[in-house]
Amino acid sequence: MEPTTKDFESAISELESIVKTLEDGDLTLERSLALFERGVELSRFCHARLEEAERRIEVLTERGELRPAPASLGDDEPDEPERGR
Amino acid sequence: MAELFDLPFEDAEPAEEPPHERRVYTVSELAAQVRALVEGGFGVIWLEGELSNCRLWNTGHFYFSLKDAGAQIRGVMFRSAARSLTFEPEDGLHVLVRGRVTIYETKGEYQLVCELMQPRGVGERQMAFERLKKRLHAEGLFDEARKRPLPALPRKIGVVTSLDGAALRDIVKVIRRRFRNAHLVVRPARVQGEGAADDIARGLAAIARVDGIDVVIVGRGGGSQEDLWAFNEEVVARAIAACPVPVVAGVGHQTDFTIADFVADVRAATPSNAAELVLAAKSEFAARIERLAGRLRASVRRAVDTRRASTHALEARPGLAGVPGRLASMGRRTSDATHDLRAAAREQLARRWRSTRDLLKRLEQREPRVRLANATTRLVTADARLRAALSGLTAHAAQRLGAQAARLGALSPLAVLGRGYAVCWAGDRQRILREATPDLVGQPVTVTLHRGELACEVRAATPPRAAGSTMTGNGVERLE
Repeated sequence: MEPTTKDFESAISELESIVKTLEDGDLTLERSLALFERGVELSRFCHARLEEAERRIEVLTERGELRPAPASLGDDEPDEPERGR
Repeated sequence: MAELFDLPFEDAEPAEEPPHERRVYTVSELAAQVRALVEGGFGVIWLEGELSNCRLWNTGHFYFSLKDAGAQIRGVMFRSAARSLTFEPEDGLHVLVRGRVTIYETKGEYQLVCELMQPRGVGERQMAFERLKKRLHAEGLFDEARKRPLPALPRKIGVVTSLDGAALRDIVKVIRRRFRNAHLVVRPARVQGEGAADDIARGLAAIARVDGIDVVIVGRGGGSQEDLWAFNEEVVARAIAACPVPVVAGVGHQTDFTIADFVADVRAATPSNAAELVLAAKSEFAARIERLAGRLRASVRRAVDTRRASTHALEARPGLAGVPGRLASMGRRTSDATHDLRAAAREQLARRWRSTRDLLKRLEQREPRVRLANATTRLVTADARLRAALSGLTAHAAQRLGAQAARLGALSPLAVLGRGYAVCWAGDRQRILREATPDLVGQPVTVTLHRGELACEVRAATPPRAAGSTMTGNGVERLE
């Protein structure tokens, strides 16, 4: 379906297996720090995916055009730079 | 003035009523007679029409008007009759009533005193509903197997509803509370009245074609059964079934069930609930990451703690107890190495701290100017905790590691290497050789010198009992 979800799923399962490995212990300090580093990287990736959607409301018109939603919708933060992209 | 009005009558019927015998009614008399005429002429009747001006008074009496295209009549249901109503009468509803026509003399209005009221057409509509439901069910449109899971991270969320309805406002509110970044595409559609069903169906088809839409919410806020009726129409059911992405139906309230609810991939109790369900997986992911980050942190802390403990244990070993004195003078030599080790440890920890801080800074840059979404708050809290714990851990670990390294350096048996001792390791470097056993012959060994190492192979092994065993061997044995 959407590649992002798949990436996200695999990142989160890798993170899960890293945490499990770390919790099982019996690793050299070097190895556990490397795993930790990878874990932080993955959690950063996951955070980024969660944050990645744009803050935006659009209206699809009869003619199939996308227009910004009227301000009355209560989306009170204009977020112009995002819109400009 | 009075004469002016009287004249025509006199012209028309001059003989019947001479002015002095004129019959003058009082208003009350007239009203009483008209009332008698009307009540006698109609008795109890059935009447159908559209309700308007519905008003239920505190006294329990229910007032309304009944109208059709050309006329209207006021009506009242007194408390005792109003109590027996089996439905909620509301403006616009087509009803069938039974009552007496009468004159409300005080106001000079004619009205209907109503004793029974039934919604008109509800019976037929209910039957049509059941028929359609049965037919679509037989076609398999309600099958569980058809239901698609909602995407975990919807890129864009489509919404088909009225642009100025409560439903859209509720959806926006929920989504903003949970995740401040969400991309909504709204396809406005009439959700009640003439043409609403077609509008909704066309809206569903149109929005599914927008690039990036992974899920669609269709619905409207609460209303009468009649208001919700569009969601019971076959065109809407077909459009939902044909939608290429999962559809969440949020129509009316918890208790309202429409055909759209049965066909949709997910039935939500309300539009707000629909928004919650669409984001449920995302919220769940956020919580999972939070938990994992906590465990990641804890496990690294444990790893550091374990090593600290074993360093302590090493210090405490009796064999090493006498060494410090002897090694004290050597300490200075190793201090350089210790310094390097400490610096390396600090650098490594600082690097991790920096990358964490980068992440945090990036998160902070997106800090919301408006209220934080629920789940996001939890994430940010988790980050703050992670940061706090990491900074604590990092500083703490760096400090402890530095201290331990310094002490370890001072105590290190390897420090004696500078005086010409050597350590002989089995080939795999997992153990130090303490005994010259025959099985070592032909095996590779590693010899650690003050500077560098030698890779050797054992040519012969002299049993320990023989005199002249190496000083290193004796030394190690004494240390045990």
